[in-house]
Amino acid sequence: MSTSAVMRLEWRRLWVRPLAWALAALTIAWLAWTFVLGLGQFLGEQVKLAAVADAPGFTDLVAIPLLAELARLAFLVVPLMTMTQLAGERRAGTLALLASTGLAPWRIVIGKYVAVLAWLALWLLAALAMPLVVGVESTADWGKLAAATLGTALLLATLAAIGMACSAATGFPAIAAALALIVSLALWSVDRGARAAGVSGGFLDWLSMATHLQNLMRGLVVSTDLVWFALAIGLSLTLAVRRLGADRERQ
Amino acid sequence: MTTVPLLNVAGMSRRRSGRIAVEAVSFFLNRGEVLGLLGVNGAGKSTTLSMLAGALRPDAGTIKLDGGDFVARPGLARRLLGWLPESAPVWPELTVDEHLLAFSRLRGASAADARRATDGIVGRLDLGDLRRRLAGVLSQGQRQRLGLACALVHDPALIILDEPANALDPVQVGELRRLIRERAAAGAAVILSTHVLAEVVAVCDRVAILHEGRLRHDAPCRHDAGGESLEATFFAIATGASA
Repeated sequence: MSTSAVMRLEWRRLWVRPLAWALAALTIAWLAWTFVLGLGQFLGEQVKLAAVADAPGFTDLVAIPLLAELARLAFLVVPLMTMTQLAGERRAGTLALLASTGLAPWRIVIGKYVAVLAWLALWLLAALAMPLVVGVESTADWGKLAAATLGTALLLATLAAIGMACSAATGFPAIAAALALIVSLALWSVDRGARAAGVSGGFLDWLSMATHLQNLMRGLVVSTDLVWFALAIGLSLTLAVRRLGADRERQ
Repeated sequence: MTTVPLLNVAGMSRRRSGRIAVEAVSFFLNRGEVLGLLGVNGAGKSTTLSMLAGALRPDAGTIKLDGGDFVARPGLARRLLGWLPESAPVWPELTVDEHLLAFSRLRGASAADARRATDGIVGRLDLGDLRRRLAGVLSQGQRQRLGLACALVHDPALIILDEPANALDPVQVGELRRLIRERAAAGAAVILSTHVLAEVVAVCDRVAILHEGRLRHDAPCRHDAGGESLEATFFAIATGASA
């Protein structure tokens, strides 16, 4: 009950905040342009593709690259969406006010997290509507598109959880955003050094977010990838809850 | 038959930034009582109130709220406690109505009950004209009244007010005093932190004075002419004349 009250409150705040609308408008416009360019290129290469056996189709050449573009944008958009969730509230004094309503820290974190997820789900749906509309009239590979959508959704959920943890760690929204960006990028490319040294398949490879997203983007749903995302989300939210709980001791 | 105090604080202490902010503070508060909390800047009033509101955990001591261990179970605050912090923080992008509905729902009210409670407190605090206005464009006084409404919307048994008269005009201060007495008459316990001695004399049943983190005075408020005895006591403690 209280968790849903926090979620409704946060959703309402996201709904009326100019930053959320500006980010949604600008990124959707960017994605629409990317989609139109990709579609034009795909149509222009129809003759060439028809001559290739087992050639990549609309899903591989237009839909999945669009989701990959959204995933790239998410590294910037999600930290901007989560930076004020706890850091901004702490700075404004409203977090202490929320705590004084007797809400457990986990209810505050989960309520806010779900609200951000709802916004990100709408953002993903708005982007996905473009390939879906074209895909209905063409021969899209729905299974591959579903796997890629799941991968993108899990990436967004993970970035949001990391953003919440970073927002819980500081009282400065800008620092929270920068921290979330750096942590997300580090987690994405943690195996870069190992790859450069020619080592692959080790722990760093497993730890890298890119490893797990790439499988899903190729249409492969592997349970270890799903577990990795679940662990990353769970760990980040646990850190956020613990840091929020420590506010009563640390202030 | 003995009545259990609504609030019972024993040996409450807290360090902040490496120094003792509140040390071994003990007092109790019965239902229907209004306690004035006085002290110079830095005396530990806001830290004390933050602990009583559940926003800070004491390093030592106990806080019993309606017989329950409030330190171990901060969830007791949900229905029992309303807090107006000193700065009356608000969400600038939400309207007055949205604040009140949100606080009511956060305290566990259903949608219908929250609407009723919001209508009630809006009428009582004369916020009708401001209902659809964003909190971010309210004047300081209006924001203070909104903060007060958020603290009272669920009709709490313990009301904690930190400098509630900040930025209010004299008419609103008079209305605030009436409201405090009205809530106390209805059985609520009120803790009122202020710098204004006249305010304590006007509305409080008891007065507590904090100095350098310690509770130096806790006695019934004498409603003598202009609060001269309170003023004398306060200055004696604040200037160190009273050991």
